[in-house]
Amino acid sequence: MRIDDRLLRLLIEFFDLPPDTRSGDITQQSLAAWDSLAMVQLITELEATFAVEFGIEEIQRLRSYHEIRDALCKKGILLENSPTLPA
Amino acid sequence: MNLIRQWIRRFPDVQKGAILQAVESASLPKIRRALRLLDDLEPEQRGPILDVELLSTYNLEPILPVLRLALSCLPSRAHLRLGPLDDIEAHIAQPAPVSSQRLSGARIIIWRIEEVLPEALYPFSHGFPERLASRVDQFLERIERVIGLHKRNADGIPLFLSTIALPVNFSNALFAAQHCAGLFCSVARVNQKIYELATQGDGVHVLDLASWAAFEGRAHADATVDFLARQPLSAKGQVGFTLFIARALRPLIVPRRKVLALDLDNTLWGGVVGEDGVNGLKLGHDFPGNVHLRIQRELLELRHRGVLLVMLSKNNEADVRQAFESLPDMILKWEDFAVRKIDWNHKHENLRAAAHELGLGLDSFVFLDDADYEREQMRQFLPEVRILNENPDPLHILRSLWETDIFDSFTVTNEDRQRHEDYAMRGARNVEAHQDDLEAFLKSLEMEVTIEHVGPSNLERVVTMLGKTNQFNMTSRRHTRAQVQTILDSPGSIALALRLRDKFGDQGIIAVLLAVRGGDAAILVIDSFLVSCRALGRGVEDALWAAMLRRVDRQSVRRLEAEYIPTAKNGIVAGLYDRLGLQRVEHDNSSTHYVLEPIVPVEFPSWIHFGQSN
Repeated sequence: MRIDDRLLRLLIEFFDLPPDTRSGDITQQSLAAWDSLAMVQLITELEATFAVEFGIEEIQRLRSYHEIRDALCKKGILLENSPTLPA
Repeated sequence: MNLIRQWIRRFPDVQKGAILQAVESASLPKIRRALRLLDDLEPEQRGPILDVELLSTYNLEPILPVLRLALSCLPSRAHLRLGPLDDIEAHIAQPAPVSSQRLSGARIIIWRIEEVLPEALYPFSHGFPERLASRVDQFLERIERVIGLHKRNADGIPLFLSTIALPVNFSNALFAAQHCAGLFCSVARVNQKIYELATQGDGVHVLDLASWAAFEGRAHADATVDFLARQPLSAKGQVGFTLFIARALRPLIVPRRKVLALDLDNTLWGGVVGEDGVNGLKLGHDFPGNVHLRIQRELLELRHRGVLLVMLSKNNEADVRQAFESLPDMILKWEDFAVRKIDWNHKHENLRAAAHELGLGLDSFVFLDDADYEREQMRQFLPEVRILNENPDPLHILRSLWETDIFDSFTVTNEDRQRHEDYAMRGARNVEAHQDDLEAFLKSLEMEVTIEHVGPSNLERVVTMLGKTNQFNMTSRRHTRAQVQTILDSPGSIALALRLRDKFGDQGIIAVLLAVRGGDAAILVIDSFLVSCRALGRGVEDALWAAMLRRVDRQSVRRLEAEYIPTAKNGIVAGLYDRLGLQRVEHDNSSTHYVLEPIVPVEFPSWIHFGQSN
């Protein structure tokens, strides 16, 4: 849950969304601000925050909160190796 | 990080905190938050406007907010314009925007090997070595063409050309270094060309991305986003990259400091001369004396590039003299200091006295001292003085000298290299000034002045003087090169520079006068009138004024207008126009207006000899 929150918080801040936005509502289709420029910035943001690198295949599937969470989980890094998680 | 802290030291704490968080995290939401908070500040808190045009062979759009934040830290209000991607020549072939949009601007061209010379990444697919070498030649020609276009259409706007960084992603790295048509040498040839073009001066500067990338390491790059959007930088890389650009542009808007006032014990050498004796001091080729030796080398270099050194030491003068005379490894000599204060007074009092002797403002000074107490006292009593170091560790002191941008400049002019001698002689002149008859004294200086029109040969010096002269400066207008060019280009303007020689040597250009036609062409308005502080009290202003009056076309100009705009520092010239015989017509808090009508030429000062004019 905490991990979700962290990603959720990042996306809310990144796209300047209302703080009570639900994770399921964060999709590329529903957010006009999520254009190709934002996509590039979002990827560097995710890479810097979670210390991961995305493959080309993965990038094409980063179109919503849930897809990003899945991609991060598959890397295993988020679950097992998140030294910067808030206590 | 230390540099940014210095840059933003005058911002309120909220903004400071937000900026530091943004820079540390390299996170875009934090960067946007810092930018929003900066927008809350008053314009004067945010610094001068800085127009920057970016032309690039890769996509800079995603990093614009980061760049805007970096430039805001200078501080400045950055106006960024992004040129069309990969279309440099077509863009700069158009005339640059005129008037206000040209102010305080810079144009930056950023290119990289992947776009401009992709063949070098695949040499054997592209006719290595001959054909590849000729491709490099073609690119060198392209660089010259680009500079030519810029000068034709945007002369006066500083042009920053990036060097080419070594690529991060390529194969056959071992071979790349083995042949002069290989990748590394090809990059080196390009960069060599760019350095050469900057050496010619003329408003072309280097944005050395090659050295930046080398310092930053591979982590600055992100191949994924490069493929995705032709934006090659990682989040951290973006922050480093934009701060590097900001530092490169900073001298355009922030004048460098002119004087370093420094302590001796535990700075120039290890130990305290009054306690340890000369033989107990640490200075030499072994640790830790080698650190102090290196500090001295840095200081000597500063003095040779135009930063005056002032000695502030709490000691007995005899001890200090003995150290300078008998320590075998001393790099700095007694004479390398423009002013020496060795006594038991407070250092801030001595610094103030040194400022007075040199005729320089306190905001020209930087202070270096290992003692926390001395730095703190200086900070409290003279907040205008910048403190160079933060702690007493000699290696830290050395690092602060390596890393500071406080003395940064694009060029080191002959005037800079001569500055120490000029100021040292100033002391000699002051001594001679005891003569009763001032005019006889001035005659004894054997002054000879030459009046030059402002033009390409002296423009750099004139712009520098406009930017730096604080005391004898009637209007303190800090014109850019482009603004001076506009004055030169305007019909009927008069722009003169005065060069002085005296028995002590060539003093270079030490006075400037700029005048433009008013709204009514029959009026000539004095825009700027200034004299370098090292030539004060010698009547050169009378000489320049007389020379200007002789050049006024009295057929078409009936009236001359001038103003005195007081600042914290130019009280010395408050009565100048009264003395020169102008009529005071209007006076308010911000300025005093004068007229001269009719315009009558005046005599040159009798003690100054006139040489040839151009």
